[in-house]
This record gives sequence, C-alpha cells and structure tokens, in this order.
Amino acid sequence: MTANTDNIFDIVIVGAGAVGCAVARELSGFDLKIAVLEKESDVAAGTSGRNSAVVHAGFNNKPGSLMAKLCVEGNEGFEKVCSQLDVPYKKTGKLIVAFDESDFAGIDQLMENGRKNGVKGLEFVDAHTVKKLEPHVGGIGAMLSPNTAITSPFIYTVALAENAAQNGVEFYFETEVNGISKRDGLFRLTAGKRHFFSRYIINSAGLYSDRIAALAGDKGYEIHPCRGEYFILDKRTSQYLNMPVYPVPRPGLGGLGVHLTPTVEGNILIGPSAEYIKSKSDYSATKGVMDQLFKEAKELLPALEMKHIIRSYTGIRSKLVGPKTGGYGDFIIEESGVVPGLVNLIGIESPGLTASVPIGRMVRDIIAGREELVPKKDFIAERKGITPFRELTLEQKEKLIKECPEYGEIVCRCEGITKKEILDAINNPLGVTTLAGIKYRARPMMGRCQGGYCLTRIVDILKEQKGIEPEQVTLRGNNSKLFTGRVK
Amino acid sequence: MLINKDLIIVGAGPAGLAAAVEARKRGIDDILVLEREPVAGGILNQCIHDGFGLIKFNEALTGPEYAKKYMDEADGMGIELITNVMVQDLSSDKAVTTVSPDGIRSYQAKAVILAMGCRERTRGAICIPGTRPAGVFTAGVAQNLVNIRNVMIGKNIIILGSGDIGLIMARRLTLEGADVLAVVEKLPYSSGLQRNITQCLDDFGIPLLLSHTVTNIEGRERVTAVTISRVDEKGNTIRGTSKKYDCDTLILSVGLIPENELSLNAGIEIDHVTGGPRVDEKLQTSVPGIFACGNVLQVHDLVDYVSAEGELAAGSAAEYIGGGLGSSTADGCSSVDVGINSEDKGPNGENPLSYEKMAVRAGRGIRYVLPQTIRPGKAVTFSMRVVKPDREKTVCFIAGDRIIKKRKYTALNPAEMIRMDLSQNELKDVSELEVCIYED
Amino acid sequence: MKTNREMVCIVCPNGCRLNVFVDEQNRVTRVENALCRNGRTYAEDEVQCPKRSLTSTVKVKGGTHPLVSVRSSKPIPREKLQEAVDTLRVLELTAPVDFHQVVVSDILGTGADIVTTRQIAKAR
Repeated sequence: MTANTDNIFDIVIVGAGAVGCAVARELSGFDLKIAVLEKESDVAAGTSGRNSAVVHAGFNNKPGSLMAKLCVEGNEGFEKVCSQLDVPYKKTGKLIVAFDESDFAGIDQLMENGRKNGVKGLEFVDAHTVKKLEPHVGGIGAMLSPNTAITSPFIYTVALAENAAQNGVEFYFETEVNGISKRDGLFRLTAGKRHFFSRYIINSAGLYSDRIAALAGDKGYEIHPCRGEYFILDKRTSQYLNMPVYPVPRPGLGGLGVHLTPTVEGNILIGPSAEYIKSKSDYSATKGVMDQLFKEAKELLPALEMKHIIRSYTGIRSKLVGPKTGGYGDFIIEESGVVPGLVNLIGIESPGLTASVPIGRMVRDIIAGREELVPKKDFIAERKGITPFRELTLEQKEKLIKECPEYGEIVCRCEGITKKEILDAINNPLGVTTLAGIKYRARPMMGRCQGGYCLTRIVDILKEQKGIEPEQVTLRGNNSKLFTGRVK
Repeated sequence: MLINKDLIIVGAGPAGLAAAVEARKRGIDDILVLEREPVAGGILNQCIHDGFGLIKFNEALTGPEYAKKYMDEADGMGIELITNVMVQDLSSDKAVTTVSPDGIRSYQAKAVILAMGCRERTRGAICIPGTRPAGVFTAGVAQNLVNIRNVMIGKNIIILGSGDIGLIMARRLTLEGADVLAVVEKLPYSSGLQRNITQCLDDFGIPLLLSHTVTNIEGRERVTAVTISRVDEKGNTIRGTSKKYDCDTLILSVGLIPENELSLNAGIEIDHVTGGPRVDEKLQTSVPGIFACGNVLQVHDLVDYVSAEGELAAGSAAEYIGGGLGSSTADGCSSVDVGINSEDKGPNGENPLSYEKMAVRAGRGIRYVLPQTIRPGKAVTFSMRVVKPDREKTVCFIAGDRIIKKRKYTALNPAEMIRMDLSQNELKDVSELEVCIYED
Repeated sequence: MKTNREMVCIVCPNGCRLNVFVDEQNRVTRVENALCRNGRTYAEDEVQCPKRSLTSTVKVKGGTHPLVSVRSSKPIPREKLQEAVDTLRVLELTAPVDFHQVVVSDILGTGADIVTTRQIAKAR
C-alpha cells in the first residue's frame, strides 16, 4: 500500500489509553489530521481501564518531578474536564490512615511532599475525626486530602476519545503497530497489512511504549510490568466507605499499598497488590494475592466479608523502575533525541490518569515548538454521555419513557440499566460493539449477577440492532468469541 | 396516579403463578401479577428436561409443561398478568413502583407476595484465580442460550459444581455434540440429586470429580485450559494434585442466591443462612402483609414444593386481606426469642409480627429450618436441609426435653430438602422448638 | 450366576438407592429399598433394557423463538438417545407451533412420538 490522502496523517497516536485519548482530544483542537492506532478492540483496554479510579492530589510524588507537577495540575482541572465531557466525578477527599505510631513519620513525609508540590488543603486529623469521616475504618490518626477525587477511568477515556472523534480524529482498533520506518520526513507505521503515514508519532503505548520507541529506532527504554490485583465489592457495601482510604505507603513498594476506594457507581474496590511479572499481558488473578488482598483490606475495614466480593480484576503498571530499584521513576514526556518527530510518553503509571490532560497539553507544546498550530474554528469542546436512567427522579423517568419507550425496558436488573442505554452504548461514536465495550459504557453485567440476567438480552439486542449474529459476538474483539456456533 | 390492588404478586414463575391461582380460589378477585419476562413461567421455560410435577400431578412433566398447567389455570380465571414490567421499588407499606415501556406505575396493595426467584452465584463470588476470558458461563445462562436461543456455548467443557442445573447441562450439551470432560465438585459429595448423577453423568460416562475444584483459568481471549486440583476437608488445595485440562468453556453451577433486593428495599429481614426473608408459618415476612414463597424464600430442589409454598403464601395473603391475620393479638407480642431486633420494626414502629410467636432453632446437623418462627398451636409444614450427607439417621423435633416428632431417613443429603408436617396437636403447648439430627 | 446390583431409581426425586437381585436368566428376583412399586419396574427395565425420556429442541422458522422444546411421549431405549437427538437436529418447523404437536411419530421405531412441550407463536 502506498501513501494517499486516506492514510497520510499529520499525527499518529499509538495507544488509546487515557493518555493517548487526552492527547488526541487536545490536538483535535487544531487543524491537524490525526489517527489513533490501538491494538485492542476498544479504548482503555490496558492500564487505563484497570486501576483504582482515583484522581490523585499529588502528595505522593517526588517534589520537582514531572509526576508531581502534572498530577497537581491534573487534579485542579479534572472536575472541569469531567463536566465538559459528561464524566462521573466525585470529590470525596481521601484518608491516609496511621495504624501505629511508626506510621506518623510517613504521614509527616507526605505532608512535606504535598507542601513542596503545591497540594492544597492537606491536614492531619486525629482518631476522633477519622471515626467521624469513616466510622467503619480503624486507625489512630490520618492525613486528610480534601482534593482527592474519584472518577470512572473507562468513561473518562471513552469521553476523551469520543470528543476527539467528534472533532475529526480517526480511531483504528485491533490495529497493532509492528513496524515503523521513516522516509522523506514521513513515518510509515505498519499494522499487519495496513500502513499509516504521518509526520509525528505520539508514543502513548503504555506497557508497550518501550517497544514502539524501539520500532521507531529509539532503543533506550525498558518497561517493567508490575501487576496489581483488585476485588470489586457489592454496592450494598457502599455504606461502609465514603472516600478512598489508604495505608501509609511503605518505602520501596511498587504501588501505594492495598487500599479501599469507593467507585463513582457505589461499589468498593480493594487493592491493588504490587508484583513485578515477566509478561505484559498476564492479567491473571492469583490465589495467594487474592487471599492477601482480602486480609489486608479487612484490617482497614473490619466489616468486610468474602460474600461481598462480586468480581476481581487486574491491572499492570508500566514502570520504568525495575524490581531492584523499586518505588517510582518519573514520566518521560519528550521528543526523542534520536528520532525527530517521535514524541515519547513513557513510564506513565500512576498518577497518569490524573495527569493525562496536562500531558496532552505538554505534547501540544512540543509540537507547537516545531510548527505553528492553527486552532480549529469549529472545535466542539463538549460531549454528552449516556443518560443514566437509574439516577433520575420518577418524573424524569416518566418523561423519558414517554419520549422513548426503550427507557422503560430494564435490561440489566442489578444496575437498573435500560434498553435505551444499551442501545446508546452499542451505537457509540467509536463503533465498538464488543460485549466489554457495552459493559463499560452502560454498566450492564457489572452488578452482582455479573450478566446472569442481561447477557442473553444483550446478545438479542446486538442481533436486532446491528445484525451481529450470536456466533460473531466477542468479549473483547479479536478471537474472544463468546459462543462457538448454533445448537442446530 | 395510584392504582389500588388487593394482592400484588411479584414474579410469574411457578411460585407466583401457584400463588395467583390459589388466591383466586380463596376469593381474592383483585389480583395483579407482575412479570419482567415477555411470558410467564419463569425459569421453567428453559428447563426443558422432565421430572417436574411427580409429587403434585403424579406425572413427569417437562418445565414448560409444568408451567403451562398453571398458566392455563390462571388464564382461565382471568387473573391480570402484566409482562415486560420490572418492579423497581417495594415499600414497607406495600406501595409498588414499576417500570415498563408504558411508563412508571405506582400501585398500593393490601398484601404482596414475593416470588422473584433466585440468581446464580458467579465466578467473581467464588474467586477463581486466573484470567478473565470469554467462555465462562453460569449453568443457567448456558441453559437459556442452548435451550431458548439456539446458541452453542462451547465444544470442550468443564463444569464446576454439581448442582442440578450443572448436571442437567452436562447431559444436554453432550447430546448436542459437546465434549463434557468432567464435572468438578469441591465437596466430598454431590450437591445435586442422585437421580441426576445417574441419568446425566453416569449414562454418558462423564466423570464426577468429588473433592476437587478449579484452581486456575487460562486463556487471554477465550478459555484455553483450566487447572483442577484436589482439596482437603477444609477446602484447601492439596499440593501436587493439579491437573490441567485443555478446554474452551467453563460452566459454573456453584449455587443459587435468593433475589431479595426488593425485599431489602421494603425493610424485610433476611435470614443469613437461607438468603431469603425470615418468615412465620404463614410465610409472612417481618413486614406485615408481605409474604414470600419459592426460590426467593429458600432455594428448592423440586418445583412441586415451590408451588406448594406459593399456595400457602396465597392462603395467608387472602386471610390477611380479609383482616384475619395478625389482628387478634396485636398487643400480645410474646417475650420468647423472636430473633429480630428493634430496627426491624415497621415504619410506624409497630411490631412486624403482631401475634405471639416463637423461634424455631436449627439444631445439630440441620443447616436451616423454615419457617423461622411459628405461632404455637397451629399445624405447620417445616422444610429444612441437613449439613452433610448421612445414612440411617432420625430427624427430631424437640420441645424442651421431649421429642414431639421424629422420622427416620435411610439417606440424608443436603441437596434434598426435607419436609415434615407437624399437626396442631403435636405443637400444642409447645413454647420452644428445635429440630436436629438424633443419633439412634 | 445370581448377582445383586445397586442402582439409583431415577423415576422420581426420592432417588431410592435400590438393591436389585438378578438371577441367571438376567431376571430381577427381588428389589430392596424401593419406596414404591415403580422402583421394581425401573429395576427390571434397567437390567434388561435401560430406558430414558428424551428431551431436546427442534428448530422453528419464523417464530418468536428460534427453538421449540420437545420430549418423547414415553421413555425410549437409552442407547437410542443420541441417534434420536441427531434425528431432531435436522428438522425445522414453521411457526406457529402448537403445544403437544407431534414432530416425529414413532421415532426410530421405539413406539414413542416426539411432541412439542410449548407453543411458539409467529414472530411479528
């Protein structure tokens, strides 16, 4: 295939995680032809969709680091982005709880870090206040971070991508880049039999960012995958927790320690563990870690019971520091020194979600430093999400059903999701029709029955709406077929 | 607009249908049955195998045939049934809110019968380690896909859990061309009926691996293998016993959970063992005028008893609507342990069970007994399950230091619900009651 | 040679654990542990020619559902179960389908009919 107007872009972004989509959205404000290439079947399929869903305040990160700077910036602007893009956001605050005297030193350190990083509002609260804020959590004192918030990382990434798409960005899923060459100032990215040409490559490939850099000729990086496992608890437990509750981090740990986080939907997350692994795609949950997670979480919240667990999931951190060093490195956000036009976003682990929009702005500035960027006159800054029927008043519900009777058909019993919401999810602007895509957009199959009631109905709707036969339905694209055929 | 109804029944499965028919026979005219599916019949519609109705009708019906008997009867009586409607809320004063394509409806019922059935325990709830690929189904979902929607779910299949639906699906999938490699059961005994082991597994040479469980799931996109390991008496994996089975599908038949989200909205007290509401011998829950029957009350192994419960609940509801229940001794709540605390009182502070009652205790060897409370001096049908399989044991009802009823069983099995009737006479002058397994 | 066999009666949910005595001519001479007379009949069949009810589905064209559930009107020899299901696999009915409609009479010469166990209406 040769270059033509269809496959020549100004910018190709590799990786449709939160960072890649935030970059896409930022750059879609300018007169640029942009493509996002993603090896999986949807956005947020890697680390972006598999984390604690916390909008961090920025006190954990080393003063002077990019992580600290962009996290604080990201936290400040997050609410606005969420309101523009119709993304769930809740400023819950967060507690770092001390369980014995030795933890106080760690809290002092965090307060000091926070001050240096410009984090506002951090304060030490005594056991009495902890009890008041979180009656079910123990502890002898805590640091309260009032600006920490929670969001839905998946919806957030979808929203960024949809808004970018509204502004002309093209998304290519199941498109794994396996070759990059450069001729006459133009990159050629090969994905199987397809080719994409561009003047710039934004390497936001997360766990695989080292590989993409190397394909382009920049061989100096190594990402160390570090797995974290989580449990999701039944919504009935939401009464036990108002805000994220973390232990004081232990030095050298690859993460922040097992913590409890309420989700914007009303569940509780337990996790994550931190375990360096060899494979970047091994999302297995393991018995030993699962047992340990529950044990540690129960120390934080004694009311927990095994029967509250409805699901587990795992995420993999893309760390620049290996197991020997431990702790955190810093984000790399820069144009490659050896491959001009390649902008590397490497080592974007936590707080990458929080920092994603500022990262997008940094990328914009890098490009603006090389050429003049012309703002798009007709840029659309807002995006509307799926209306959550369950959260409306009876009057609003009645009105919606009148306008559209499909709001009156509850497809998912546990989460109260209507057929209209499922249809909106199926007809998403990115054209994703996988079961996971529908699940993360509209939340069916996310409740305590995990699809026992609604899976069959969604299979029917896919056929009815998109003509997708059951044997074509996939969980996450590629070969993840749900069924093997017809009975007869 | 508020619509008044004498009796609202939530769910038109076997429990709800039997309740509707019985309530009409008891003279309740103003009945509304609410069903979320497009048709009545509940889970029976996908249970195409036979063996239903042997006790009730003395013939081996298939699920759809059994359901049809009740559907036809309810239809013939002109009982109002609304399908494609979801009950969104139920309050303790028996206000019912529904959602359907016709809009939101608010009803006020004099009495409500809960007949919502149950849901399946999932992979997440039992924390199976491994990846999360396509190809893991609960047995009921598999049954629906295969029997109703003509969708084949896999070729090489492992079934975890020996519950009846899992056993039935082992046969069903084998006959339809799949290779069922094994049924794996963590306990040292099957949790399904013996007859299903014979006709669903033994007939087809499908191995039943007792004291084994699935300890890992592999596959990034679709299941490629599962690991099965032996477990000890405590359920812990025994090292060195793991074996990997290449397969594309894992079916879970690991238990059913009564679906009581609505009951919780109404403030109904739930029994932690059964997962269903605590009830008295009238099947009245802790909220007066709300009754429960079928799998929402306790998970059954035989539909015949589900219908029987529906009928009992309907009789009680009819009595309640007629003013006959609970009005007599409104001031006389006994001091006997009623097993509920003050938080469970109704919205107006009234006691949920407004007559003298006493708790029935599940003693040695008994996992639970239903009803949890009774009014002394009335005939009661008790249903219960034992803790573990046993042979040649006697089930005893003990009041204080005297045995008031006993029955010897050649075989006891947790999978098989035990039902025992105690007469008015046997329960006369009883002020405490325990059921246990008695060592002869 | 006289033998005794243990088997679980599958006629009803009681699942009686039968102790079945068989004589040299493969005739049942005594059945122990049966709660009812059906146990004896079951044991005799099981010794001579085990029979099972068949339940499966048949494809439906133009109906509200793609399948209709079916059953055999009486138990058929166990070894014919698979062949019977394979026979049904190639059939297709056209909606509407009636309740207890005969789909196959005398399937595989067993004397049992295959009948539907529910109605399937025409799709709108």
